[in-house]
Amino acid sequence: MNIHDLLTEQTIFLPLETSASKEDIIRQMAAGFKEAGVVEDTEKYVQAVLAREQSSSTGIGFGVAIPHGKSAGVVKAGLAFAKLAEPAEWQSLDEQPVSIVFMIAVPEANVGNEHLQILVALSRKLIHEDFRNKLLHASSAEEVIDTIKNM
Amino acid sequence: MKKLLAVTACPTGIAHTYMAAESIEKAAKDRDVPIKVETRGAVGVENELTPQEIAEAHAIIIAADTDVDEARFAGKPVVKVAVSQGIRIPGELIEQALAKTPSAGSPAASSEAPVKENAARRGVYKHLMNGVSNMLPLVVAGGLIIAISFLFGLHPAEGSIGAKLASIGSAAISMMVPILAAYISYSIAGGKLGLAPGLVGGLLATQVGGGFLGGIIAGFLAGYVTKWMIKYIKLPKVMEGLKPVLIIPLLSVLIVGLLMVFVIGTPLSWLMNGLTSWLEGMGQANAVILGGVLGAMMAIDMGGPFNKTAYTFATGLLASHIYGPMAAVMAAGMTPPLGIWLATVIAKKKFTKEEREAGKVASVLGLSFITEGAIPFGAADPLRMIPAFMIGSGVTGALSMLFKATLMAPHGGIFVLLIPNAIGNLLMYVLAIAIGTVLTAILVTWFKRNKPIEE
Repeated sequence: MNIHDLLTEQTIFLPLETSASKEDIIRQMAAGFKEAGVVEDTEKYVQAVLAREQSSSTGIGFGVAIPHGKSAGVVKAGLAFAKLAEPAEWQSLDEQPVSIVFMIAVPEANVGNEHLQILVALSRKLIHEDFRNKLLHASSAEEVIDTIKNM
Repeated sequence: MKKLLAVTACPTGIAHTYMAAESIEKAAKDRDVPIKVETRGAVGVENELTPQEIAEAHAIIIAADTDVDEARFAGKPVVKVAVSQGIRIPGELIEQALAKTPSAGSPAASSEAPVKENAARRGVYKHLMNGVSNMLPLVVAGGLIIAISFLFGLHPAEGSIGAKLASIGSAAISMMVPILAAYISYSIAGGKLGLAPGLVGGLLATQVGGGFLGGIIAGFLAGYVTKWMIKYIKLPKVMEGLKPVLIIPLLSVLIVGLLMVFVIGTPLSWLMNGLTSWLEGMGQANAVILGGVLGAMMAIDMGGPFNKTAYTFATGLLASHIYGPMAAVMAAGMTPPLGIWLATVIAKKKFTKEEREAGKVASVLGLSFITEGAIPFGAADPLRMIPAFMIGSGVTGALSMLFKATLMAPHGGIFVLLIPNAIGNLLMYVLAIAIGTVLTAILVTWFKRNKPIEE
C-alpha cells in the first residue's frame, strides 16, 4: 500500500490561506479532493464532514484537527493535509486554535482495509509531539509525504 | 504491580479510537504502568481483552462514545469517559483507575484460579453461562410456583387453584431447556439468528427426552450451524437481503431439527429402553445397589433420559405395591438442589452473588423435589458439578433403601411428610436426605473452580 494513493500533491496545502473559518477550510480542502479524483460529489462530502463536526469537534488538541466524513460522494479513500497560515478556531478539546488539519475522506461502501490501517496509524502517530513538529516545520509536499511514509 | 486495561471506541472508528488508545498507552508508559488497550474501530476489534486479563486487572478505563460490551467487566472498577477525554487527559484517567479499590475477593480469586485455560474452553463457558443466566428466571418462577401449588394438596382437583398453579409452574419449567439452548446458540452465532434454531432444537431435546444435557447439545449445534451459515452462505447481491430473513432461519431450523430428531433422538430412545430392562433385571438383586443406581441416575441428567427412566421405573413399581425405590428416587432427586444451597452457604467465596441468590431458591426447590433447581449450576459447569450430584444422590438412594424407607406418592418432597403414613420409616428417611445433602455440598465445594470474573 502506497501512501501516494491517499495523499497527493493536490491535497497538500502548504500553507492554506484562509479566512479562518472552519467551514471555509473544509471546503478548500474538499476542492483538493475533487481535483485529485477522491471526491465526486463535493457538496455531499462536505455536508458529511460538517455533520460530523456538529456532533462533536474533531479538534483533538495540540493544534491538530482531523475532520472526516464517510459519504457516497467519495469515490476512494483519501487524505488531505493543510498547514494553516493563521491558526483557526476549531472548538478543540483543549480550546487552543488549530494549525494542522488532516482531512479524511472515506467512501460509503466498504473501504479497503489497508487504507484504514494507514489512517489508523496516522491517528496514533498524531499523539506524539515530535511527529507533529515535523509536520509543522515541513516546507514541501514531499517532506510531508516522507514524514507520513516513515511514521 | 497494578495492571490496567482500557477500551476505546468511537462512532466512525477511524481517528478518535486510535488516538485515545495511543495517548492512554503513552501516558501509562510514562508512569511505568502496564496497560493493554483494546480498540473497537472501523478495522474491527483489535487487541481484544481476554477474560483472564480482565480477571487480573486492577481496573478498566473505558474511553468510548459507543457500546463496548461492558457486561464482561461486571464487578470490576471502571473509569468511564467519552473518547475525547481519553485523548485529552489520559494521565488523569490512569491516576483515577489506579486509585480505584478492587472489590473484595476478586484479586484473590483470580490469583488462585487455575491460570492456564485455553480460549476455546473460556468460549464454551461463556456460551453456557449466557444460556444459564437467561434460563434462571424460568427455573425460579416455575419451581417456586409448583412448590406453592403443593400447599393446596398433592393431588389438587382439576380446575382448582392448586391445579392451575401447578400448570403455570409446569409451563415455566417446560421452557427452561428451549431457552437454555436458544441463548447458548445466540451467544455462539453472535446474534438473534441463533435464537430460532436454538429454541426449536431445545424444544425437540425435551420432546425426545434429552433433558438439559440434550438442550446444551442442541444449543451448541444450533449456534455453530448458524454461525457457519452466516459465514459461508454466499448469495448474489440482489438476493443477499433474503439471507437473514429466509435462507438462514429456514435452513438452520431444518438442519438442527433433523439432527435432533434422528441423530440425538433415536439413540436416546434406545438408551431409555435399554436402561429400563437393565433396572428390571436388577430388581431382584441387592436393594441397596439398586437404590444407589437409581439415585445416581436421578442426578446425572436431571430430567434427561437417565432421570426419566429411573423415575418412571420407580413410579411403575408403585402399582405393584413396591414403595422402596420410589422413596430412594425422591430422596436422590432432592439432594442436588439442597446440596447446592448448602454449598452456597458454607463456601460463599466460591460463588458469585447471583449464584448465592439462586442457591436460596434451590433450597425451596430441593425440599419440593424439583430437581431442576440444580440445573443452572449443573449446566454452567457440567463436568465438575454432575459427578458431585451423582455421588451425593447415589449415596442418598442407597441409604434410603438400606433404611427400608418407603414412599407411596410419586412427588411432593417435604410436603409428603405432612401426609400421615405416606412415608415409611420417616426419621431414617430424613436422615438419608440430610446425609446426601451434606455430602453433595462438600463435593460441590471441593470440585468447584473458584468463581470467574464476576464481582
